Amino acid sequence: MSRSKGMPASLVEPPTFWSKWGWIGWVVVLALAFAFPYLVDRPRFWLPNIGVKSLWLGIIAMSLVFLNRYVGLLSLAQMTIAGIAAYGVGYFTVTLGLPGPVAIALALLAGTVAGFLVALIAARTKAIYFLMITLALGQVFYSWASQAIEVTNARRGLAPIPRTEPFTDISMFYWAVLACAVICFLLCRYVAKSSFGLALEGIRDSPERMAALGYRVNRYRIAAITFAAFIASVGGIILVFDRAQVDPDVVSLSSTLDILVVAVIGGIGSLGGVFVGAIILTLLDNFAQDFTDRYMTLTGIVFILVLLFAPAGIAGIGKQVKRAVDRARSKRSEADESPQQEPPAEQPTGEAITKGKQQ
Amino acid sequence: MDQFLLIALNGLTLAAVYFLVASGLTLIFGLMRVITMAHGTGYLLGGYVGYLVARESGNWFLGALCGALAVGLLGVIIHQVLIRRFQDDDMRVALITLGVALIGTDLMLALPFGSSATQVPIPQELQVPVALPLVGEYPVIRILILAAALVVGIALTLFINKTRVGSIVRAGVDDSQMTSATGVNVRIVFAAVFALGSALAGFAGVVGGTLFPLLPGQDGTYLLFSLVVVIVGGMGSVPGAAIGAALVGLVSQFALVYAPTYALVLTFALMVIVLAVRPQGILGRKTA
Repeated sequence: MSRSKGMPASLVEPPTFWSKWGWIGWVVVLALAFAFPYLVDRPRFWLPNIGVKSLWLGIIAMSLVFLNRYVGLLSLAQMTIAGIAAYGVGYFTVTLGLPGPVAIALALLAGTVAGFLVALIAARTKAIYFLMITLALGQVFYSWASQAIEVTNARRGLAPIPRTEPFTDISMFYWAVLACAVICFLLCRYVAKSSFGLALEGIRDSPERMAALGYRVNRYRIAAITFAAFIASVGGIILVFDRAQVDPDVVSLSSTLDILVVAVIGGIGSLGGVFVGAIILTLLDNFAQDFTDRYMTLTGIVFILVLLFAPAGIAGIGKQVKRAVDRARSKRSEADESPQQEPPAEQPTGEAITKGKQQ
Repeated sequence: MDQFLLIALNGLTLAAVYFLVASGLTLIFGLMRVITMAHGTGYLLGGYVGYLVARESGNWFLGALCGALAVGLLGVIIHQVLIRRFQDDDMRVALITLGVALIGTDLMLALPFGSSATQVPIPQELQVPVALPLVGEYPVIRILILAAALVVGIALTLFINKTRVGSIVRAGVDDSQMTSATGVNVRIVFAAVFALGSALAGFAGVVGGTLFPLLPGQDGTYLLFSLVVVIVGGMGSVPGAAIGAALVGLVSQFALVYAPTYALVLTFALMVIVLAVRPQGILGRKTA
């Protein structure tokens, strides 16, 4: 079912137009993203509300997609881990008065360690259990954060968390965040293509076989969850400097669902697609309010429609269309000539949402 | 000692509500291997329907019936339109129903009473306390709810294990193709089970809405608690859900008295401990 997933596309298929010239696409996207502050009419609105927010939503969702695609685990704790990193920054700067860079380093560590602890609890469980347990763990942190007044200042949260020079300028901040997003993306790609990533995919597809080959399956899973937690923590730190404060809303159920929506709309098998999903969500968030009060309903409907008709998300639509065209074409040629060959069996589109088949 | 017993009784009535919600979830999971994340939505919606009907008609039982029927009907629609095609893909079902929950939360918030606390009215004659040995006075409605949960639990267990329909349902779970080859319409069986599970959530909403106020956001809370209950008790097992609900209800009530700040955290800590010792839950079967 996921025969070709592990290998780079060029090894399995003959080089297509996209795999040959795809880098041009990336350059264009990056150039557009870099020039974003100059392209919009009101940078003071677009940069924080769409630009920066899409980037941190995307980074956190990317950690979810990484886990889903390469480990086959759908985690709903990624927003919580990001929130822990965000609370870390808040606690270390506001409560303890540490300088910014130290606080950021400690917060990254806190988020990653939190991810490690989540992994210790949840890595033994599979598929739907993992989903439920990460959801529950996220809600534990939410309830704790809204009550533990001495650490998190309960519902009022920790503020102010100002940005320091030179990032007080919103364009500078945006570029720095963009750089972080690109680095995170490359890091995820690098890890996925490393021998570690290949082992992860092996474990995703057949844990028993990998265990028989001598791999410590659980340790690999824990390591992968911890790595994803690190990526999510980066997103959380950007989040806290974007909002200038941190309160329990950051880790609420609806924020958790936001991340899931971003990942699913963008394409839950695609590391880059999440940013498309994030842009769509932030646009919906900012502009749907102009014509309807029920923006959540709209988001939910889009979410369900994507799941029903394009489970590979926006990133997978191209492939889906191509497959449909191929099928139509092969049907037509079948009708023209005598049928020579079975048309390629339709790949189940549900493949994008990796079924946890490690039972 | 009195206080101890009182807390225990409160914990058990809370557990009764948790059990009613979670039994629907565990029934659906046990038979269809899918988790519906719209279960909390069913709870709150059932509560609201019950509230409206009971307020207008003055009859609590009619309210409970309508709440259960409405949510059961909604369950059938959700199952037929959104879930049936993906029944083998548990992840996608979970995500789609999460989307339903997202929409449900938002739409219920838009109801005229959706953003404030409402409570299902109960008849005057049930608003009296009874004297219990050792505990003293205790509201009779809570005793009745505890009894109702017990009845539902026993009825469900008997229904699944002892009746012909129950055995068809179990057969459909083990091997749906073979079962349909013997002439059983498995589709209808699954739809009926989904409706029953949803109706239980709606009924639980009316019961819960009688004991505690219905608040926006409770759909999420009850989804979460029913997830915790079935994880602790073992997914797919009705007696497991009862044990899980009792544990969760007792722990959360005692924690509320003795360590109020950490009540929720302790409740979830229970789940973590159970998972560490027995990942499949207390009465869960190990999935092959």
